[in-house]
Amino acid sequence: MNIFLQATFEGLSLGAVYSLVAIGFVLIFRATDVLSFAQPAMVVVGAGIISYFSTQIGIPFIVAFFLGIILTGVLGLILERTFLRPMVGEPVFSVAVLTIGIDILLRVVLDNWIGINPKYMGDPFPSYGNFGSVNIAGLTVKYLEVTALITALMLIFVLSVFFKKSKYGVAMRATSLDQEAALAQGINVGRVFGLVWFIAGLLAAFAGFFITGGFNTLTNTSFISALRALPAVVIGGLDSITGAVVGSLIIGLTQAYVGYYQFDIESAYNIKLGNGFSIVAPYVIMFVILIVKPDGLFGTEEVERV
Amino acid sequence: MSKRPDLFTSYQKEISIFPNNTQKFWFVTLLLSSIYICFIASDYWIILITNALLVSIAAWGLNIVSGLAGQINLAHGVFVGIGTYTSAVLGGVATRSVIGFEMDLLIWLPLSGIVAALIGVLISPIAVRLKGLNLGLVTLAFVFIGSHFFSNLTFITGGSGLGRKSAKLNILGIDFNSGYEIGNFLIQKNQILYLISLLVTVLLGLGVKNLVRSKTGRAFAAIRDRDIAAEALGINLFKYKATALAISCFYGGVAGALLTTTFGGVEPGTFNLLYSILFIAIVIIGGAGTVLGPLFGAFFYVLFPAIIQYVVLSSNLSEQDLLITPQQIERIIFGLFIILFLIFEPRGLWGIWFRLRNYFKAWPFSY
Repeated sequence: MNIFLQATFEGLSLGAVYSLVAIGFVLIFRATDVLSFAQPAMVVVGAGIISYFSTQIGIPFIVAFFLGIILTGVLGLILERTFLRPMVGEPVFSVAVLTIGIDILLRVVLDNWIGINPKYMGDPFPSYGNFGSVNIAGLTVKYLEVTALITALMLIFVLSVFFKKSKYGVAMRATSLDQEAALAQGINVGRVFGLVWFIAGLLAAFAGFFITGGFNTLTNTSFISALRALPAVVIGGLDSITGAVVGSLIIGLTQAYVGYYQFDIESAYNIKLGNGFSIVAPYVIMFVILIVKPDGLFGTEEVERV
Repeated sequence: MSKRPDLFTSYQKEISIFPNNTQKFWFVTLLLSSIYICFIASDYWIILITNALLVSIAAWGLNIVSGLAGQINLAHGVFVGIGTYTSAVLGGVATRSVIGFEMDLLIWLPLSGIVAALIGVLISPIAVRLKGLNLGLVTLAFVFIGSHFFSNLTFITGGSGLGRKSAKLNILGIDFNSGYEIGNFLIQKNQILYLISLLVTVLLGLGVKNLVRSKTGRAFAAIRDRDIAAEALGINLFKYKATALAISCFYGGVAGALLTTTFGGVEPGTFNLLYSILFIAIVIIGGAGTVLGPLFGAFFYVLFPAIIQYVVLSSNLSEQDLLITPQQIERIIFGLFIILFLIFEPRGLWGIWFRLRNYFKAWPFSY
């Protein structure tokens, strides 16, 4: 039972972090019809900037943290303005491949900077309690994971208020429904595109810190964790924010349960799932769900005419 | 008639593989000079060109399913991997850790294509049900599931980090692994592989050209342009999408089998996400949906790093002087080219070639 609770807690925390990346995906997809494969790269770039400022420049962590988040948002803005604006109206596939190109560019630069040694974030979390974790009723709870869960929930709440109440939130929703109609209503669609990429960048950097913070460290393979937000988005449906959150939680929980129970399952059914199955499990789930529901759990069904 | 190359008096003539004598002439010239290169070029260039030829076969495969039939496939590298391991199992030598049957090239080469195609057909029901971005994302799942299998089926692949040796080069019972002697003349293994690759490339390239002008090829194009309209016109979507995937996987499998034979060994980590994306980049840089495009793209991809290395070596800079390694320069330029080609020249290198050709056709007039 303890293991179950432990796995559930870790899964929820992971899922909450993934949901930040996933919401970025969905925002970009809804407003601009672009599936951004560059989002995982933005996540690690965000973590890289935070690590650079706090460990190499040596400014206080909290300043570095917010600086990194803002800079990643600005990077998103720049990417949209330079590479994606000329591609408005092009086939979806071409634009998706273009973001793969952006992903390669960002990651090469970052991998070169990271090198062989893992980079620490310089965050204070490992120094709290017993190496960053505390024992509550037999559960090992990491401060970083608690903070991740709370921050993610708060961000999701703030975003939903932003979409419902603020001027630009409404403008974004209008743009995602119909770009031309929004333009005709006097909405500056170009600015909305930029804003969407900015917010996606902010969220990516948040997630980047929580994925690589503490003892997790930033390495050349960190982006694979960030890429796991992709099956989450697909499970939930590409155009649904609720779906993104639910999908992320499913992915996070799956990963945690598989990580904890793989050995038991293997010995109980006498099968061999192989090393690192917890990394593949989210994709298997995405596979199964897409076969049953091609538009995801919460996605709107596409109506097509000739 | 011979003075008017663009005048076609029958449909048969218009869709023929070589519509005029000029093209026949250049095809034969190119073929003969390619064979001649084999005997004058150094080993380095022979291996490089062999590599380019084989990569272009794999890129043709992706071009059939993505460029012609319009179905996004982010997992082409996995099918290349399946072909690779089929060839390695059938043609390789068994060791304590891996299995191998030491068969003939004439058996393992077609079979590696066929096995890849069969697996393509096996997953096609899933692929056919989806379209657009969702299909792309499912194929992304294939990449991860595929590499999981590759790194865990150790009796086939040797396991991650270790890998295994590739297939042996036996043709019709003759052992070509250390070259072959005809009289006083020794043909190296590389040269034999080059000639085999050239033969396979020419055959499969003509196959693509043939496919484009056939009923199947026209059905693919119709599906790409508007699948619902195609269905309304009586094209069986399931059948043709599955066919496209199967042919594509066949090309990938054959290319994979020969590619690893050139390198001598293979490690399961090769077939990762970047490897699959590579083929997409090649198709886009070359020109999606065209016959010559993937060939251009593949030669560009293989020869470009060689040129970069040559420049780095000849400029007397040591590795420490550079901020980034040649491999990283390659990847940066590669990523940049994907972006720039998509924005400025969506028809790829083929588009540039097309405009160049038309410019000189009408020269000195610009129209």
